[in-house]
Amino acid sequence: MGIDPVFALAAAVSVVSGLMTVTRRNPVYSAVWMLACFIALAVVYLRLDAPFLAAMHVLVYTGAILVLFLFVIMLLNLKPEEFPPEPSLPAKGVCALLCLGLFGLLAVPMWFAAVELQGGTIDAKGPAFGGVEYVGEALFGPYALPFELMSVLIMVAIFGGVVLARRKAA
Amino acid sequence: MISNYLVLSAALFAVGAFGVLARRNLLIMLMSVELMLNGVNVALLAFARHWGSAGGQHGQVFVIMVMGVAAAEVAVGLAILIAVFRNKKTVDTGDLGSMKG
Repeated sequence: MGIDPVFALAAAVSVVSGLMTVTRRNPVYSAVWMLACFIALAVVYLRLDAPFLAAMHVLVYTGAILVLFLFVIMLLNLKPEEFPPEPSLPAKGVCALLCLGLFGLLAVPMWFAAVELQGGTIDAKGPAFGGVEYVGEALFGPYALPFELMSVLIMVAIFGGVVLARRKAA
Repeated sequence: MISNYLVLSAALFAVGAFGVLARRNLLIMLMSVELMLNGVNVALLAFARHWGSAGGQHGQVFVIMVMGVAAAEVAVGLAILIAVFRNKKTVDTGDLGSMKG
């Protein structure tokens, strides 16, 4: 089974920049590495023939979430001596081992399950897969109620954000 | 082809989990949660693409739901972070033990 070179490159970039995100000491560097990770993931979505989701991913993650992170980093204005101390090296090693175990636990069964899947079904996607019409039909058809509920959730999050972050009236 | 995408998804999830476990900076822990959610999104989309016309829409709708929840989660999370920083002057989870029994 050959690996698509574009996918391989995007996957490598996203995992490496993900690792850089979680290991940088300065949150600003983390945010910039997370940007690289998100762009690479958009490429992965495009390789999965989902241009609409790739566009939404860039809009939501890099356009909204990352900007929000950068705003908060700017607001806090932490100096390097205010960064929290890092856990000791053995503690980090234990965490790394745990996460490697988690990776194995997730990846190995999924790998074998996917091999069985491949035998069971054809890899057919239909011509419209990933377009706005195709997703929108589901979003405003059978999923209309969850879709509207999500707008309620986001409104609650807006109110919650304002209430939590507001300066207390003296 | 779906296996490669699932392994990428597991890798992103594990990287995010490492960030949540091994870091003490609240900001970076929130970013790690975002990475984990992205790993889940890749898996959902890979399965949607695999099942194609039978269930391709459902998987993509799930991805959109995860994105919406992630946006809400990060807005509330960062608001809590600001409130904590305003009261305690720290983003270190080690200093936030006031609810310890």
